[in-house]
Amino acid sequence: MAVLQAILDGLMIGGVYAVISIGLTLVFGVMGIVNFAQAEFLMLGMFVAYYAWAWLGLDPLLAAPLAFGVVFLLGAAIQRVLIRRVLKAPEVAQIFLTVGMLIVLENAALLMFGSGFKSVSTPYQTSSLQLGPLFISVPYLAAFAMSVASGLALFLFMRASWFGRAMRATAQDPMAAKLMGIDSDRMHMLAFALGVGLTAFGGAVILPYLTVSPTVGAQFVVLMFTVVVLGGLGSVAGAVVGGLAVGIIQSLSALAFPIQLQNLVLFLVFIAVLALRPKGLLGGAR
Amino acid sequence: MNRSTLLRGLGLAVLLAVAVATPFLLDPRGYAIRVVCLALLFAAMAQCWNIVAGLANQVSLGHAAFFGIGAYTSTLLLIHFGLSPWLGMLVGAVLGGIAAFLISLPTMRLKGHYFALATLAFGEVMRVIANSWSGLTGGPVGISVPFAPPSFAMMQFKETRPYYWLMLAALVVVTLVFVAIRRSKLGYRLRAIKENADAAEVIGVDTTRTKITAAVISGMLTACLGTLYAQFQFFFDPDTVFGVASISVRMAMIAIVGGIGTAAGPILGAFFVIPLEEFANDLFSSRAAGLSQLVFGVLLIGVILIEPRGFMALGSRIRRLFGKGGRP
Repeated sequence: MAVLQAILDGLMIGGVYAVISIGLTLVFGVMGIVNFAQAEFLMLGMFVAYYAWAWLGLDPLLAAPLAFGVVFLLGAAIQRVLIRRVLKAPEVAQIFLTVGMLIVLENAALLMFGSGFKSVSTPYQTSSLQLGPLFISVPYLAAFAMSVASGLALFLFMRASWFGRAMRATAQDPMAAKLMGIDSDRMHMLAFALGVGLTAFGGAVILPYLTVSPTVGAQFVVLMFTVVVLGGLGSVAGAVVGGLAVGIIQSLSALAFPIQLQNLVLFLVFIAVLALRPKGLLGGAR
Repeated sequence: MNRSTLLRGLGLAVLLAVAVATPFLLDPRGYAIRVVCLALLFAAMAQCWNIVAGLANQVSLGHAAFFGIGAYTSTLLLIHFGLSPWLGMLVGAVLGGIAAFLISLPTMRLKGHYFALATLAFGEVMRVIANSWSGLTGGPVGISVPFAPPSFAMMQFKETRPYYWLMLAALVVVTLVFVAIRRSKLGYRLRAIKENADAAEVIGVDTTRTKITAAVISGMLTACLGTLYAQFQFFFDPDTVFGVASISVRMAMIAIVGGIGTAAGPILGAFFVIPLEEFANDLFSSRAAGLSQLVFGVLLIGVILIEPRGFMALGSRIRRLFGKGGRP
């Protein structure tokens, strides 16, 4: 029963992992850039939700769209000013530009918000639903539901809207997309803004059961990369599968190992996947 | 030997003489000499990173793994067996080489972002192990190098000057290794991999073996520098020596700022970055934690945007501007 419970918990948190990682995979899919700073946008999303709660009394779940909006605009600006300039640069420049962004965002947050841990309190924080012999924690369920909703919204946007199709066209063949009159610069900006915005959204919905601090991103860096690499870097559907898988791996390994070693299991899975199937579990055979 | 190589050799000899004599100009108990020591050490570390990243374009974000292995190995051997850090350094180098070999096996076929990600995770694995295996490493509280009567044999000195010469010697050795590799067959093979790995394979370069050889040399040297760091600082913890920002990224950044793939780049980079960071720390730390790191990040972004090939390329750009570079 403990195993079933762990799988259920894993699915719940895995849904959130999927959404925060979709942003990362989207940016890579459209621009070919691995954003090492992605987890910092999760941290920013958490802070937006925290201050919306502290100043406006807004529940983090309701503040999630606000977090999305704020970080969306920030992301558009960052794409315009920074990322755009290294799109054709060597990989080492791309890697260290985003690493530099990571350092700047983390320390800017440290300066602005202080180094302390902050958390919100909500009426449903400690409640849980009983499902036969299993329990579902309400904040987990709420975060999961919000993640599914945002994931579906993104899916519809990518499928049905002109922007979504234009973005996918740019990802597939930038030259052909350009010839069809698609402004690839604008598509890149949209993809990056949407990518970091979604991650911030995910940050807001997990705030009810986590605490936020400027260094919270560090906990999520390798986790997010494990998710996207498991599913195949650049694949949105892959990120969903990867997210659920990572959630389950994490909560199952919590049964067997002490808490400090939980991440170790994840790292080893990550290295193994990179070594054996770098195109992801869903990717074609090499 | 023509005149320009002669002049160059002479210039290097003068530079080295000045470097050896510098500590006599600095207060032996002062702060400046410690900063210069750190700059020398980080220059050597960046040079190690340069062997793999600069020559073969395999961008590692996990070199802290080898550095930490070196620091912990010699220190633990000193604590438990009283072994001289010089011997501890050799053991650390062997372990660092083994670690580099092991991580090369699953990652050698990876390129670019994928390689960076895998090495990043490897460094983090080592940090997590060091933090949670408290029985061996002392865990997150850190570990102190036991004091011994100051002597060369125990790599401990009363004042800072001998450390300075130690760091300088390390930098010279690592730089010579880098230059020797670059000129050797191994160097040509590494560059062939950098330009086009598939083409290199086709013309008969054993790319796997070449990459592993370079990684092992780089890992061993980095581990040796970890020992020097431990003996210099006397105290460290897992998050310092295995840190992504504190070690892995800083090593890479120094090489990039100076000029990736060049022998002088890491040295220029270190003597720019380390004093700047120390200065910023000194200036701001009392008022605002994080500001000096912020400066570090802004600097990194600035260099990438302005000239991703670093000072060395910037220098030749400026020379060309004044018409001394030959070609217009």
